Amino acid sequence: MIPQNFAYSSPNSLEAALDQLADGSAKVLAGGMSLIPLMKLRLASPESLVDLRRVPGLKYIREENGVLHIGAMTTHYEVESSVLVRATCPLLAEAAASIGDVQVRNAGTIGGSVAHADPAADYPASLLALEASVTLASKAGERTLSLEDFLVDTMTTALEPGEIVREVTVGVERNDVGTAYAKMLQPASGFAIVGVAARIGTGFARIGVTGLASKAYRARNVEALLEGGADAAAAAAVIAEGIDANSDLHASADYRRHLATVYAARAIRQAISRAR
Amino acid sequence: MKIGGSYELALPPARAYTVLQDPSILARCMPGCDHLNRIGETAEGHVAYEMKMKMAISSVQGLFAGTVKLADPNEPTSFRLIVEGSGKVGFMKGEGVLTFVANGTGTDVRYEGEVNVGGVIAGVGQRLLDVTAKHIIKKFFGKVAAAIGEME
Amino acid sequence: MSTTIATTEKLVGKSIRRREDPRLITGTATYVDDLKLPGMHHACILRSPHAAAKIRSLDISAAQSHPGVVAVFTGPDVAGVGPVPCGASLPGLRVPHHAILATDRVYYVGHAVAVVVATDRYVAADAIDLIEVDYEPTAAVADPEKALEPGAPAVHPEWPDNVSFTYHQEGGEPDKAFAEAEVVVKQRITSQRLVPMPMETRGCVAEYHTAEKSLTLWSSTQIPHLLRTLVGQMLGLSENRVRVITPEVGGGFGCKLNVYAEEALAGFVAMKIGKPVKWIESRRENFLCTIHGRGHVDYYEIAARRDGTVLGLRLKLIQDLGAYQQLLTPAIPTLSVLMMPGLYKFRNISADIIGVFTNCVPTDAYRGAGRPEATHGVERMMDLLAAELNMDPAEIRLKNFIGNDEFPYATATGLSYDSGDYAAPLKKALDMVNYHALREDQRKAREQGRLMGIGISTYGEICAFGPSPATPAGGWESATVKIDPSGKVTVLTGASPHGQGEETTFAQIAADELGVSIDDVIVFHGDTAIVQYGIGTFGSRGTAVGGAALFFALKDLKAKIKKFGEMMLESDDITFSGGVCTCNKTGNTVSLAQIAGMSYRAMRLPVNEEPGMQATRFWEPPNFAFPFGAHIVVTEIDRETGHVEVSRYVAVDDCGNIINPLLVAGQVHGGVAQGLGQSLWEQAVYDDTGQLITGELMDYAVPKATSMPWIETGHTVTPSPVNPLGVKGVGEAGTIGCSPAVVNSVVDALSPLGVRHIDMPMTPEKVWKILQGERI
Repeated sequence: MIPQNFAYSSPNSLEAALDQLADGSAKVLAGGMSLIPLMKLRLASPESLVDLRRVPGLKYIREENGVLHIGAMTTHYEVESSVLVRATCPLLAEAAASIGDVQVRNAGTIGGSVAHADPAADYPASLLALEASVTLASKAGERTLSLEDFLVDTMTTALEPGEIVREVTVGVERNDVGTAYAKMLQPASGFAIVGVAARIGTGFARIGVTGLASKAYRARNVEALLEGGADAAAAAAVIAEGIDANSDLHASADYRRHLATVYAARAIRQAISRAR
Repeated sequence: MKIGGSYELALPPARAYTVLQDPSILARCMPGCDHLNRIGETAEGHVAYEMKMKMAISSVQGLFAGTVKLADPNEPTSFRLIVEGSGKVGFMKGEGVLTFVANGTGTDVRYEGEVNVGGVIAGVGQRLLDVTAKHIIKKFFGKVAAAIGEME
Repeated sequence: MSTTIATTEKLVGKSIRRREDPRLITGTATYVDDLKLPGMHHACILRSPHAAAKIRSLDISAAQSHPGVVAVFTGPDVAGVGPVPCGASLPGLRVPHHAILATDRVYYVGHAVAVVVATDRYVAADAIDLIEVDYEPTAAVADPEKALEPGAPAVHPEWPDNVSFTYHQEGGEPDKAFAEAEVVVKQRITSQRLVPMPMETRGCVAEYHTAEKSLTLWSSTQIPHLLRTLVGQMLGLSENRVRVITPEVGGGFGCKLNVYAEEALAGFVAMKIGKPVKWIESRRENFLCTIHGRGHVDYYEIAARRDGTVLGLRLKLIQDLGAYQQLLTPAIPTLSVLMMPGLYKFRNISADIIGVFTNCVPTDAYRGAGRPEATHGVERMMDLLAAELNMDPAEIRLKNFIGNDEFPYATATGLSYDSGDYAAPLKKALDMVNYHALREDQRKAREQGRLMGIGISTYGEICAFGPSPATPAGGWESATVKIDPSGKVTVLTGASPHGQGEETTFAQIAADELGVSIDDVIVFHGDTAIVQYGIGTFGSRGTAVGGAALFFALKDLKAKIKKFGEMMLESDDITFSGGVCTCNKTGNTVSLAQIAGMSYRAMRLPVNEEPGMQATRFWEPPNFAFPFGAHIVVTEIDRETGHVEVSRYVAVDDCGNIINPLLVAGQVHGGVAQGLGQSLWEQAVYDDTGQLITGELMDYAVPKATSMPWIETGHTVTPSPVNPLGVKGVGEAGTIGCSPAVVNSVVDALSPLGVRHIDMPMTPEKVWKILQGERI
């Protein structure tokens, strides 16, 4: 439970951080809730870590022209407890509140979570339903991708060497939309065995799923059925169609597929009940 | 852990079979594989290669040294692939039968087998084992397809 | 002579907050890992990743030359250190030689292979990675039933059948009872392997004083004195030159009731390098190398009449021992046999234990140690019988309880139950849940298609270990009470509490008996150089045996105080009360401080009295004590997911007299948490190749505060006649009563579907599969 030797730096500007990351050899430390345990088990042994904790301008939540901007180093607790997020994007606050435990939420960050791309992480389901974008920064400049394009596969993202997640953006929630996130919690880790985020309005549906497949994804088949007027159960029933479901000690692929339909229906119903 | 699935390659079965037995292709396509050195035939008649592999998924990295064995050749329909490796993070053994089934002008490569892991990765990696194995297999076939694309 | 000891307001019986807590809560307690000695080195252990393998070769040269590494030791280096001891004995028991480091073979994942000693912990951990071991893996077996199959891999090649021992116990005429029974019900019941999981892992610091040839060993243990004796033997040191100190111990639950290879290894290293050395177990090591609990596969048969009268109980018990015998490994299942009759009048009993080697870490005592398994078995069987006979589970229990007029009750397993009113806690629990109304609620719930279950368990446990002839290392306990010249009181207890709160409860007892403020009493434990020999804390014995020893030491001391009082007051008619001796004739007084001062100054002494104010007692209990109780659990099952929600938990325990209700409640809460853990979440899973695949807290689900139901506690009080305090012990009660109540409740919820039994843990997927009609 002791990591290998590594170099550690804690730059105090974004420019310095990007400089230090430029050659792609260093790992970014953005809360460390996944990376540090891996290092302690020596499953990850990066030669150097660049800690973004002291980089100014990465920790903020602000609204501009109907868009919520969240700095990459904003902790889950800050999102969960933000009056602004709760008022303008309750689904995101609900997702943040469902992550791990208090200690994890006080240290883990939104940028760290999306960059790690754990297939059972809570955030991505909601962020996909919210059609979030991520802004990436490197010495070469910035680019913005939809989260859907950003998440490539199991713990694999579109991040290029030397690039970091700088910001996550979501739209301010539409007035006619109700939202909910429902998950079955893995009792040991607190990760989602299956988690479904739903945003439902009139003729509008967005569904994000985590835990079920190799990466979090948007269930467009469910969305289409809902937008076409199907009820929650009928729409939820198709959520796992064509999905190569994950399987582990805690839930077999069949059980996960079944849970996805159950939690999808629950999230959809709750979202509908919350829609005005 | 049982694994199984299929992948479509744009080659007729006989060619697909040869390609997947080609050590240079295997070395290129096994994620993180450095090289394959033929070490001869085993007592059971398996063609064996020595391999070194650097597996990396996100920040998780492991160096594995071991062997790749090709067994039970039944050209062009099937053979058995055995990959064994060990390193500081643990050890793994994957064994599976690859079956080649014509599908139009291409081939469905079906695989079925079992992966066993030990050491730290077995003790702490359960949650991600299945999904990681699938990821690696997908990556492998993706690289094979790309290699075939280059050859054609 | 009319000298009396008057009673004043008592602390015993009051909910006094734990005096231990301020230091724990403020982070100022000292654990082993907090110790820093001048020149201290650090040890890190290389462990086998294989469950079974031959060691072809081992290359330590790179590790040896790593900067900062002082020494690397392997199996042959420590060949002179004695084996890890097994303290239990059974006829024909096979005890493999348990060297402190593996030599030519490894037998389980985590088996210690080499130790690196370095100037700091990080260097030691790095150097571990530099050791090259060439293993030749061999076939392993992790499942005890598979290990018994012909042709199974042999864990120890010298014993190809993997059987360590068989043990038969019988009482009454079981064959006749079964032959004459009107109804016989059979069930296979498992009790899965569990990881004890103290918050503080194991750890030790060893310092060898070369000139004095003496070793000081700080260790996170429940048994400092036994550890001293046994580590001394292992290292070939004279026992009086070994001092064991237990600083704060962050939980044990039985897993620190042991002597481990690392404790001797640390001593060996300290002696070799001439510097203090620290070894702290990582959480990962704790999973792999500290004993596990449970590991039963039980085959039960119950014989009864159709009116519900039980006649006999048969058990075939397959105990997963793991690869070695730790201190009490083979003794644990024998406790299950002793307690298999539960609270019922089973006159005919037959039990067969097969102790089986597997390529897993050894099992040993874990909270309850054999009794949760027994209670789980008999309480499940009572429910199965009730279901078979279409009787109410409460009714069948009340029908078969041992009667109040039958104590002391000789069981068919050879025990003598001390005292009891077994119906009382069940009736109280039934009242607390309003049982008939609850059954009515259940009927309505079922009409609505809901799966609601009501589960009852009653339990009896053997506690207060125990009469010495029946315990491996002696079953007595010791206490010293010292009163300083200033009148302040120090208690030294041979029990070694590690979370049970005896610093509070023993101070309550001493304060009451001496009539002083609790603030004037300190309780000290866990240093063999200061505290007289003691046995330790386990088996719910701390208060029932250690407290009794304290009581008798206090009694001796009070007699001496009185003699000094009589001398100083020049009267033989005095009262000792409130910390003051008062002459009943003149009203003159002398305080305890004056008396104590006199005893040390010793200008005058009472006839036949020595100076000083100190008494030590070693108390041998005449019997075990047998607490009992009833738990009722209401569950509701989510039809869609299989998730079990515990909607109500009622625990009524009878642990005899209660010293401190707050601490008793805490013990019940903690015990129930661990019982719920086994019932619903926890399992140490080894795969077929012997890899522990729940090897971290990401996969091994310990109960969390957020997953606990509200626990309603109640008590009945039936004092034990075994000890002068009338206490029975409560440390394990919650765990023992819990799991059968939860399983009975879930089975009850699913009974409309024809479900008879579910093995633990009742995970959502398992329950969901049952709901899908699968046989589990």
